[in-house]
Amino acid sequence: MMKHLRRFYIGLVMAFLYLPIGVLILYSFNASKSRSVWSGFSLRWYRDLFSNQLILSSLYNTIVVALCASVIAVILGTAAAMGIYSIRNKWFKSAIMNVTYMPILNPEIVMGVSLLLLFVSVNQIGAGITAVTGIPMPELHLGYLTLVIAHVTFCTPYVILNVLPKLRQMDKYVYEAALDLGCSPSMAFFKVIIPEIMPGMATGFLMALTYSIDDFIISYFVSSATSQTLPVTIGAMVRKRISPEINALSTIIFVVVLAALVLINLSALRQERQLQKKQGGGA
Amino acid sequence: MSKSSAIISLRGIRVDYDGEPVLHGLDLDIMDKEFITFLGPSGCGKTTTLRIIGGFIEPLAGDIFFQGQRINGVPPYKRQVNTVFQRYALFPHLNVYENIEFGLKISKLPEKERRQRVEEALELVNLRGYGLRNINQMSGGQQQRVAIARAIVNQPKVLLLDEPLGALDLKLRKEMQVELKRIQQSLEITFIYVTHDQEEALTMSDRVVVMKDGEILQTGTPQDIYNEPQNAFVADFIGESNIIDGFMHKDFLVEFANDLFPCVDKGFAPMERVQVVVRPEDILILPAEKGKISGVVESVIFKGVHYEMMVEALGYHWMIHSTMSVEPGTVIGMDVAPENIHIMKRTEEE
Repeated sequence: MMKHLRRFYIGLVMAFLYLPIGVLILYSFNASKSRSVWSGFSLRWYRDLFSNQLILSSLYNTIVVALCASVIAVILGTAAAMGIYSIRNKWFKSAIMNVTYMPILNPEIVMGVSLLLLFVSVNQIGAGITAVTGIPMPELHLGYLTLVIAHVTFCTPYVILNVLPKLRQMDKYVYEAALDLGCSPSMAFFKVIIPEIMPGMATGFLMALTYSIDDFIISYFVSSATSQTLPVTIGAMVRKRISPEINALSTIIFVVVLAALVLINLSALRQERQLQKKQGGGA
Repeated sequence: MSKSSAIISLRGIRVDYDGEPVLHGLDLDIMDKEFITFLGPSGCGKTTTLRIIGGFIEPLAGDIFFQGQRINGVPPYKRQVNTVFQRYALFPHLNVYENIEFGLKISKLPEKERRQRVEEALELVNLRGYGLRNINQMSGGQQQRVAIARAIVNQPKVLLLDEPLGALDLKLRKEMQVELKRIQQSLEITFIYVTHDQEEALTMSDRVVVMKDGEILQTGTPQDIYNEPQNAFVADFIGESNIIDGFMHKDFLVEFANDLFPCVDKGFAPMERVQVVVRPEDILILPAEKGKISGVVESVIFKGVHYEMMVEALGYHWMIHSTMSVEPGTVIGMDVAPENIHIMKRTEEE
């Protein structure tokens, strides 16, 4: 009896989580535009999707911005984490950590508005300098650059929060050991410190990528018509009417993410098995 | 062992941590090919001294010489010394072989020579065939051996060891002590060893440097340090000892515990106040009426090889190590042979 109940409960949870996605996938193959009537299987929306320039260019924007922002965030975040790690003063350290948490805790709408204001005011200050000195200042237009800057802003804390624990776990003498064995400080950094904190950097990178691809609110404020990311484009479409192409696109994204997850889990499983084999044979 | 030349000389080394003096004006010569141990309680500056030699700390004042050359300001990676760190500091992302090979790769040695030297090093630390293991698959003692191999494979002139056996259990520690001494003798290089364990220091060293509060209290062979401690701290730190106040009546005659004892020390002023050190194993137990000192046995503890007894006599609690046991409450006599009485100048602070 208990067993059945347990299974039923798990089924319920799974249904709650995956039913919406299941419905979405189902309707992405619907022949008609209707959101309620099933009128036969068709790949029409997938065909339409790949000829919809707006969606494709938004997808391209999203990927470019996400990759740029994540790479920059990993570099900045790792450097910041090392800086924070080496701060001796307790109060200063916790102050810096609070500043780090801020972009995560701050409501996105506040971040979006404040970033927009920042970009606009930078232009105004630039214009002011031009007016006074006559030196032409470059203008900051909303577009790729502002998008990347904004995404770096909210992605960097995730990198810091993933790299810091790795630094704390690290034996602090490995750096000295590297120096002792003939490494210059920069060699020691790349040969010993980086490999040690690599898992943290990788997790940070993936989280940054995820949050960047996901982001709607902040991107909505700081993008232009030509640099819209996918969430912004979809958001704009939804206001009019959900196109079934979106169902098709969502299905593709879901399948890609699912495939990635399965792959990661499989390779982790294989690694574990190899390690067990090694240990079993070696001892 | 050639004791003629100093390989490392420290002159007037001063170090502060946040304004607190850690070493005040340390002078020391370390001879080529010797096994020298810095011994002292935590915070005595022994690790700091080691780190100065390794190049990880720059002294506030003073000079370091390596084979006569001043090496102040030379970074660690340009010094001909290698270090075995306290918690090994092995690189977890590399396997045993790669860890040992690390220094050789940095100095761009050809692959063939690298392999040969790594294999030799593995052989020397009794880890042949372990090259492909991961670091976290190795036990503490094995990791210790990898750390030693990783350092000596670079053929340093001097090997620095910072409490390398601290994390091992007693039995393994004893094994590694013998092992380290063997490695040092077969490599014929200088070992500078830091420990707070006096037994470890006495077992392995050619010379022991006893340190306290950033100063060297005594330097000498293990026998010197044990038999002729220069002050109460050294006497107490190096093994158990009974330290009692006395007067030097004249050369070879000392008074303590209300009696006169012949001894082998001289050169004190008449009636100079001194401190007398008697090791617990040097006290003879006699029938009550035959001893110069008589006291009451307070407690007896079985310690394996010997019994440890506390005996109260004239207000002083004597510690005695003896293979025979005496019932608590018994009155016994005690005597000490002249060569087992060690006289030290009084240290005013104590």
